[in-house]
Amino acid sequence: MELIIEEISRGHKLLGRHKFAQQNIRIGRGYQNDIILDDPHICPDHLSLDFNGEHWVVTDENSINGSFLEDGKRKADQHIVNSGDVITFGKSQIRVVFPEHPVAESVAFSPFESLINFARQPIALVASILLFTFVAGYIFHLEKTIDVPFTKLFVPAIGMTLLFALWPGAVALVSHLTKHDARVLSQLGIAFVFYNLMWVSDIFQSIVSFNLSANWPIAGLTALIPMALAFCLFWLNCYIGFHMTAKRRLVVSIALTALVFGGSFIVQLSKQPEFRAHPQYDATIMTPSFLFASGSSVETFIEDSNRLFSKATKAAQEDQD
Amino acid sequence: MKGFIAFCLCTVSFLSFGIEQAEQIFKQLAPSLYQIKIIDKASGEKSSIGSGFQITADGLIATNYHVISSYARHPQKYQIEFLDHQGKKGELSLQSVDVINDLALVKRSTEMPMQFFPIAEQAPEKGEELYSLGNPHDLGMIVVPGTYNGLKKESFNDRIHFTGSVNPGMSGGPVVNQKSQVVGINVATSGNQIGFLVPHDKLQALFDGYKVAPPASIEQQMAVQLAQNQEKLFSTILASDWTIKNLAEGNIPIIDVPFLRCWGESNADKTDALVLVAVANCALDEDTYLSSHFFTGAMDMEFRYMQAKELSDLKFYHLYKNRIRQAGSGNRAGKDDVSEYQCHHDIVSPTDSNNINKAVFCTRAYKDFPKLYDVLFLSASLDKNNKALISHFTVAGISQDNAMAFTKRFMESVSWN
Repeated sequence: MELIIEEISRGHKLLGRHKFAQQNIRIGRGYQNDIILDDPHICPDHLSLDFNGEHWVVTDENSINGSFLEDGKRKADQHIVNSGDVITFGKSQIRVVFPEHPVAESVAFSPFESLINFARQPIALVASILLFTFVAGYIFHLEKTIDVPFTKLFVPAIGMTLLFALWPGAVALVSHLTKHDARVLSQLGIAFVFYNLMWVSDIFQSIVSFNLSANWPIAGLTALIPMALAFCLFWLNCYIGFHMTAKRRLVVSIALTALVFGGSFIVQLSKQPEFRAHPQYDATIMTPSFLFASGSSVETFIEDSNRLFSKATKAAQEDQD
Repeated sequence: MKGFIAFCLCTVSFLSFGIEQAEQIFKQLAPSLYQIKIIDKASGEKSSIGSGFQITADGLIATNYHVISSYARHPQKYQIEFLDHQGKKGELSLQSVDVINDLALVKRSTEMPMQFFPIAEQAPEKGEELYSLGNPHDLGMIVVPGTYNGLKKESFNDRIHFTGSVNPGMSGGPVVNQKSQVVGINVATSGNQIGFLVPHDKLQALFDGYKVAPPASIEQQMAVQLAQNQEKLFSTILASDWTIKNLAEGNIPIIDVPFLRCWGESNADKTDALVLVAVANCALDEDTYLSSHFFTGAMDMEFRYMQAKELSDLKFYHLYKNRIRQAGSGNRAGKDDVSEYQCHHDIVSPTDSNNINKAVFCTRAYKDFPKLYDVLFLSASLDKNNKALISHFTVAGISQDNAMAFTKRFMESVSWN
C-alpha cells in the first residue's frame, strides 16, 4: 500500500512531502535512509515503518532520544499507524497519511480576487501611489500659512508615502518569512487603494459633520467608516499573504482593527485631562460648494442652545455630589 | 531774583507742610490701621496679606474682598488674623462682603471702645490731596500722598482714579482726606503713579446694609451680588443703542456704552501674508475677582474679517477653519468652580438676511452660585468663497435669559454690507 510522509515543522507547516510504494520505509540521519533528516537529535537509524500486510507499524530502532506520538508522551514504538498520525522524534515531526486521506474542499476564488488583480497591475499601482502622494502633498500645502515652494511639499509627501508603504512591505516580508508567497505588488496595490479610500472617507465625514447640527449625533457614526476600511484592508492582507481558514482570517483582521483603533482610543483617553476648561465643539467648515443644509433660523438656534443650560446645571450638580 | 527766592521758600514750606501733615495723619490714625493676614491652618503660615482699617468703635474693620477671598471661599482651610501698630495679633471673623466692589467687613473683639476712621460724607474734589495708607510688600505701615482725579470714565462699577503709588499689600488700606475721613479704599494699581480706589459710598452702602441685617451666609450674599450686577450690566447693554459699523465688508455692532472699550488691528502692512485680516475687539475693562483662580464678570467681543489674496478657496477655508477651531473661555475658572462646557453647533441663516453661518454656542454652569453661567458664542460666515467674517463673544457670570437675549441680538446684528 502506498504511504505519504510529510515532513512538518512544529507549527505543522509543511516542509516536504514524500510518497512511497514500498513496504518498508526507514527514517534517520544516515544517508542509507529513505527519508534523511538533518537533525542532530535524530540517530542515523532512528525509525522504520513496516507494512505487515494489514497495517503500517512504527518501529523505533533503539534511538537515543526515542520516538513519540504527538498526543502526549506515548512511545511510538510498535504503534499501528492511522492516517494523519504525527510522530515526533528528535526535534522533528512527520505526519503519515494514507492515499485515501480526505482533503479539504476546494476554495472558490474570492470576489476580491479581481480587485487584487486590478490593484497589482503596474499602471493601477503607480496611479494609486501617485494619487496618495499628491493628496498628502496637497494636505501639507493646506496646512502651510505662508507660500512655500513646491519642493518643500514634495519631500514630506514622498516621506509620507514611504512611511505608508512600510505596512504592506512588512506584511509581504512576514509572509515571505513564513514560507508563503511574498506578493509585494499585490500587497502594495491593495494597501494604497484602501489608503486612498480613507481620504474619501475623510471628505465624507467632513461633509456630514459640516452639514449636520449638534442635534444629529449620528454624525459620529461616520467614524465607523475608517474602521470598516481598515478591517477590509487587514482581511485582504491576510487573504493575499497567508493560507489560513476563513474564520482565522476574520479573527486576525478584527484583532488588528481593534488593536489600531482601540489603541488610539486608549491613548486619547489617557491624555484626557481631569477637567476641560476649554469648550469642545465641532468647528468643521468647508467651502460653500459643500454646504447642502438649508440652515436653521436664529430662533431655532437660540431654542436649541437654551437646552444646554439645564445640561450644564445638571453637570455642575453631579460634580458636586 | 527776590521773587525766585520767595518762590523757592514757598515751595519748600509747602512741601514740608505736606510731609508734616502726612506724618500727623499717620500718627493719629495708626491705632486704627491693621495688617490683615490669611493664615493657612495646616501650615500655620500666612498665605496672603493686605491692609484694613477700623470703621466702628466696637471693632468692625473694612478691607478688600480679594484680601480675604481665600477664607471666604474655603473657611475650613484658613483663618483671618490682624496685626496692629503695636504688633499685637488677634483673630478676625468675616461679617459681610461686596464682591462687585471688592470690599469686605471683618470684626475683631474689643474690650473697650476704640478709635476708628470716620467715612466721608462727600466725594473729594478734583485735584484734592489725599493720603493712602497701607502695608506694601509687608514692609510696615506707610503713608503715600497723592491726588484725587475723579472717577474712571470707562468703568461700569465706579472706581476713583488716584495719582499716587498704590502697591501690592496696600490693598484694603484706607485713603483719607485732610480731615482724616475715608474717601476711598486702595484696590488696584496700573503701573507708575496710577492707582484705583473703591469710592467711599460703596463702603457706606455695605456698612449700612450690615447694620440693618448681617448676611446669613457669605456664599448666598455673593450669589445675590453677582446676579444683581449682571442684571444691571445687561439691562444697560440691552437697552443701549447698538451702532452698526463697517469692518471691511462686514457689518458689526458697536454697543454705545463707555465701559466697553474697543480696539482694532489689521495686517494690511504685511504684503506677504496670504490672508488680509482686520480685527475689532470690544471688551469690558473690569472683571470680578472671586479667588486667585476664579474670575467672573468679564465680557469680550471680537470681530474678524478675513480675505484671501490669490489663494485657492480650499486653502482659504482650511486656514479659516484653524482660526475658529480653538475658541477659549474669557475668564479663569477651575474644576471646583464650574462644570465643563456644553456646546451646540448648527448652520444658521437669519430670516431677514441672506447670510449663512456656522454658529457655535457653549455654556458652563457655576457650582456655588446657582443660575449663573459662562457663555461663549462663535459664528463663521459660509457664503463667500474668499471672504470670511467671524463674530465671537464670551461673557462670564450671566443668567440664562440675559445670555440668550444678548446672543439673539448679537446674531442679528452681524451681516455682510
